[in-house]
Amino acid sequence: MAHDAKLIQKLAEKAKILRRDAVEMIRAGELGWIGGSFSQADIIAALMFHHMKHDPKNPDLESRDRLIVSKAHCCETVYAALGEAGYFSKELYKSYGQMGGTLQAHTERIVPGVEYSGGSLGQGLSFAFGEALAARIDAPKDSSGRPTPRYRVYCIIGDGESNEGQIWEAVMAALHYKVDNLIAILDHNKFQSSGTIEERMNMMPWVDKWKAFAWDTVEIDGHDFEAILTALENADKVKGKPHIIIAHTTKCKGVPSFEHKNLHFCNISDEMYAEAMEALK
Amino acid sequence: MKRNYVLEPLGEMKAMYQAYHEEMLELAKKNGKIVLLYGDFPRGAAGEFLQKEHPDRIYDVGIAEANLITTAAGLAGGGYLPFTHCHSIFAVGRAYNQIRQNVAFDKLNVKIMLCNSGMLWPFMGGSHQMIEEIAALRAIPNMVLVSPGDPVSTKKMTRAIAEHVGPAALRISNPAVPTVYRDDFPFALGKAVTVTDGSDATIISTGMMLSDALEAAETLAKEGIKVRLLDMHTIKPIDEEAITKAAKETGAIVTVEDSSIIGGLGGAVAEIVSENSPALVNRVGIKDRFGQSATLPELKEEYEISARYIAQAVRETVKKK
Repeated sequence: MAHDAKLIQKLAEKAKILRRDAVEMIRAGELGWIGGSFSQADIIAALMFHHMKHDPKNPDLESRDRLIVSKAHCCETVYAALGEAGYFSKELYKSYGQMGGTLQAHTERIVPGVEYSGGSLGQGLSFAFGEALAARIDAPKDSSGRPTPRYRVYCIIGDGESNEGQIWEAVMAALHYKVDNLIAILDHNKFQSSGTIEERMNMMPWVDKWKAFAWDTVEIDGHDFEAILTALENADKVKGKPHIIIAHTTKCKGVPSFEHKNLHFCNISDEMYAEAMEALK
Repeated sequence: MKRNYVLEPLGEMKAMYQAYHEEMLELAKKNGKIVLLYGDFPRGAAGEFLQKEHPDRIYDVGIAEANLITTAAGLAGGGYLPFTHCHSIFAVGRAYNQIRQNVAFDKLNVKIMLCNSGMLWPFMGGSHQMIEEIAALRAIPNMVLVSPGDPVSTKKMTRAIAEHVGPAALRISNPAVPTVYRDDFPFALGKAVTVTDGSDATIISTGMMLSDALEAAETLAKEGIKVRLLDMHTIKPIDEEAITKAAKETGAIVTVEDSSIIGGLGGAVAEIVSENSPALVNRVGIKDRFGQSATLPELKEEYEISARYIAQAVRETVKKK
């Protein structure tokens, strides 16, 4: 069933705001991860401004859904989503990457709304697995004896990051314990730090790998809000196994002149800034 | 020689992992937040209890130490109190970055059991004998590292780290060790125990070397060398006051550990003494070598850490004063 056009429109607007605010942060910090921040922006918008249960006024609420961004260098659109949602004042954006600033160059739990301090790749899925287990301890059981978790845990992982062996340790364990309140989303933007996925470490076929581990596996266009929302909703319906949404994305998505370039870690020049603001109007 | 809080004669031999589990069983029964995590490791009494009574508070992630430590961090993030169990060599050696980044960085309330820690793991050989865990862990900000020397102190430290809010690691040696302490011995995290009083020299021991250090102190007492024996059961935060006082009052210190002296207890004590009150520090411990398959007495002799080597180190250091 198609989602309300107004909802889709709202999420598209939010995603633009996240990208614009990310650009401002990168300008303030004079460095940042624009490519991966932009490729995940639509997924984050769908999660934070519609699908996830959370309360910016009560960031420690025990029953909140968690978002673990394992590729934590892509922090700018995470901070932007939290600022836009009202976890903190957007004034904080100016502190991005600054000495003594709250918004560090990789996400840290000291920031209101940030669940996970990343920076060392491949670890976020294990952390999300632990959080998902915690949601089931002492939880009431349903009629078939399965625990009914107090919250869901969403974990965005990268395709380059999937080189790390620990990702697959977590994949193995989450299935073993049938952790169905864990929903991983692969931001499959086809690039890693120093080149394309194909050049550096070709992990094709992606879908078969996750299916071989018997996860609930779906492949979508990670910039199609209809597809993102449908995949998230379907994940809630499949019980007894963890979920992976393989989201095909475009590095730097949102600014046509940046797209398909590996703008992994860089500053934004005046010229780029003008292009970005024009595209993200 | 007067011995403080020490059983005379020493009490029953017991494996430290068993002593840990006896205490953990009591803690896990009372504290519903405790979750035990294993990396393909023996359950122990507390694990068997949870498996039966609270199966949602015990997990084994298989032979995957990185996932073990980070999963524990996630459980702590979710409000629980996880204790991880795997060999020290693999916890610290394979999951160092997970301990640093996922646990210590955020001061998450994760307790890491360093099972079969140190050089004194008979038979297993150099691949398994973990000599650098003290050096590695004490360099990580926010970490608490405890290293008990007998079954009684193992129990007290298990309780202490469960009550401490924040990251902590506990060294648990493989061999059965004699019960040194009476049950009523005073224990506080970060406060060394003065096991014997003395002014000629100080032996500072950590972990299961305690009984060898005590034997050395007794031997020396018969020769007229009065030794102060400090049980440095907490490596971090270390008891700087006791170390500085010992340096000032005795002028000769011998450190004793079954770890590498490079960055180990010997390194830690030397750092403090050199800054506060320079005194001779002779480091008994593993001297830049890997381990090997051998029996416990053979290991202590080959690596020159048995009571007779400790006593000899004290004699030499006192002579140099």
